[in-house]
Amino acid sequence: MKRILLIARREYAAYAKTVGFWLSLLALPIFAVLGGALPALMMSSEPVRDVVVLEEGPQAQGLAAAVQDAVRLEQERRQTRMQEAAAEAEKQGGQAGASVAGEALSRLGGLRLQIVPVPVDLTAAAPGEAREAVARRYLGDEVPEADRLDSVVLLDRVDGKPTARVWTRRATDDTVEDFVRDALRDTNRQEVFAQAGINPAVVAETGRFRPEVTALSPKSATGGEVSFRDQLPGIIGLASGFLLWSLIITGASILLNSVMEEKANKILEVLLSSASATEILAGKVLGVALLTTTVLLVWGGIGAIGLITALPQYAGMIGEVMLQGGMLGYFAAYAIGGYLMYAVLFAAIGAFCETPRDAQTLMGPIMMILVIPLLVMQMAIRKPDAPVVQILSWIPFFTPFLMSARAPSEPPMIEIVGTMAGMFAFALFMVWVAGRAFRAGALSDVKLSWKSFAGAIRGGGK
Amino acid sequence: MTAALTLEGVSKRYGDFQAVRDLSFAVEKGTICGFLGPNGAGKTSTIRMILGLQGVTAGRISILGTDDGRKVRDRIGFLPEERGLYKKMTPVDAIAFFGALKGLPTGEGRRRAREMLDAQGLGASKNKKMKELSKGMAQKVQLIASVVHRPEFVILDEPFSGLDPVNQQGLEAVIRQLAADGATVLFSTHVMQHAERLCDKVVLLARGQKAFEGTVAEARATSKRFLELEGAIDASQASALPGVSDVEVVSDHDGVRVLKAALGQGGRGQEALKAAFLGGLDVRRFELREPSLHDAFISLTGDNPDIDQSVKAGVEAAR
Repeated sequence: MKRILLIARREYAAYAKTVGFWLSLLALPIFAVLGGALPALMMSSEPVRDVVVLEEGPQAQGLAAAVQDAVRLEQERRQTRMQEAAAEAEKQGGQAGASVAGEALSRLGGLRLQIVPVPVDLTAAAPGEAREAVARRYLGDEVPEADRLDSVVLLDRVDGKPTARVWTRRATDDTVEDFVRDALRDTNRQEVFAQAGINPAVVAETGRFRPEVTALSPKSATGGEVSFRDQLPGIIGLASGFLLWSLIITGASILLNSVMEEKANKILEVLLSSASATEILAGKVLGVALLTTTVLLVWGGIGAIGLITALPQYAGMIGEVMLQGGMLGYFAAYAIGGYLMYAVLFAAIGAFCETPRDAQTLMGPIMMILVIPLLVMQMAIRKPDAPVVQILSWIPFFTPFLMSARAPSEPPMIEIVGTMAGMFAFALFMVWVAGRAFRAGALSDVKLSWKSFAGAIRGGGK
Repeated sequence: MTAALTLEGVSKRYGDFQAVRDLSFAVEKGTICGFLGPNGAGKTSTIRMILGLQGVTAGRISILGTDDGRKVRDRIGFLPEERGLYKKMTPVDAIAFFGALKGLPTGEGRRRAREMLDAQGLGASKNKKMKELSKGMAQKVQLIASVVHRPEFVILDEPFSGLDPVNQQGLEAVIRQLAADGATVLFSTHVMQHAERLCDKVVLLARGQKAFEGTVAEARATSKRFLELEGAIDASQASALPGVSDVEVVSDHDGVRVLKAALGQGGRGQEALKAAFLGGLDVRRFELREPSLHDAFISLTGDNPDIDQSVKAGVEAAR
């Protein structure tokens, strides 16, 4: 046991002392924050576009006003939403929270375009090519920046239907185009209804109507109305499955590289003269397990602090789901079984290899198999009882990931117990197989192949 | 004397390949035993079986009173042929780690590591990373790591390979000191000079089989002594000298030749020299050379019809 702990400690320290480990440890939280914050930052830093709207003749009369009305209505609608959000935030976090939330929402949620007065020369230019030439000039760099426009919208009617030619400074910016399309569609609808003798006020009123639909389920947390709280276990399950996959593969890959390095540097033989193959394998598996646990704790800690700080109401809910639903227990059991299976397999493969290229023979097919649970996990959340999900859950290589993802959907107890027993039985079988292959591989100069690997398992290094 | 190691009829087979065949020998406690043989002779396989890293196909091995080397691994020090240590560790940490695996408390391991590194002239490098050390330095560190726990039995697989002459001399001193401290040393090599200077006993292995077991003197005695003659003489004149046979012309410069000849068992150099003078031969240099272990090695392996070209190559390498 002492040798196992010594090897585990060295294995842990070898990685934990490297800068790369801490960088990769912090990479996920940093990317998670960046991933969440970047879109918001991009949105808030997006400039407000200066847009002019012109009618291309009397036939287009009323369209410019319709677009301007749409802009005003959209701004009012967003203002209302911001006020509602601020009120909700005040309810959750007090006045200060409301102020901060309101400010944040106003930065993010404002309409990123405004209608500005039309330059005189643009109005004066004859509709058609002459006016478009002037429009081009205002969108280009030859006019002073203060006079520059972001978009020129030329409104017209074709066969009585509203149309628009939208000129923009940036060819890829479709914000104004989309907005104008929606505004003209609403205008057309109002006109069609008006022609049919329906009062425009009635049309506007029906357009604003949002039916109140309530989702209910006897399995919801309240026994009635379904809320975000009820969706949370599914989200946590999926996140757990991905996290487990990521941790197991990371840990197993560390082991593979570690054993390969020791094989290449001829350290394995020295180790074997000081400890048994089982002790070496167990020590290395334990050391890397502690390493992945460190990763998990750091990620979990950062996540928990972030959640409690930013969204305290959800933090409580998540904590409740993880503790009450037995999710932590499932996660721990599947993590242990899954890690054991893959770690010993990767370590045994490493014992035959001195370079990653040597390992490709076996690692290629294994990695292809490992992609399957990633694909099926998403299906497991929406359709946890789908036959393919159920069948694949019984395959020990997939059990940890799929059952982690399915656990919140409360699969039948027979499946939980059966798959877990199968997983642990298979994990023990893998420990036995990998132990024999590891012992043989550590002293062997034979190139890795399916044949040599199978031969090593049969011979066990004897 | 009590044997620290005994091999009885040990064989090892890998599939169709017979690596070791019916090998028997013993190493007495506190002695230095040279395990000699060319590459591919079966030395490493035998060492792995002694250590319990690989099982025997047939036969029995007893080391330090047990049939399973794994049970006494804490009492054994092992330096493998292909050496390696963790590149990012310092010598002190590496030595203390391997000592700890052998049951030495880490603190004591570190203390001994510093002491031994200083003694080996590596004091200035003890806190550098292994990857910063030269090959010779790293080999010294590995040797220290294999003996830091003061083992009763030390197995060194080709310990001199890759070392410069100065370091080879230093290693010889270390091996002598280990034996002086009471450890039994078994080391493999194909450089006969080291074995000649160090060993109480040698075991010669060729093609998986024992070719010889005994002292260095006994090994030398298996080979003929040599005469080296220089002068204006030819091979037939030298062959006529008493006890002289197998005359070979080593060089010939304008009729002045260097001849090498075997002096048979019971043959006396003085008689040959006397006969040469009495016969009026123009002998300018006459040298009687005792056979070396290297000569014995050639003699022993060369006489064995089973020895293949790999052994011959080993002999050439040993030269």
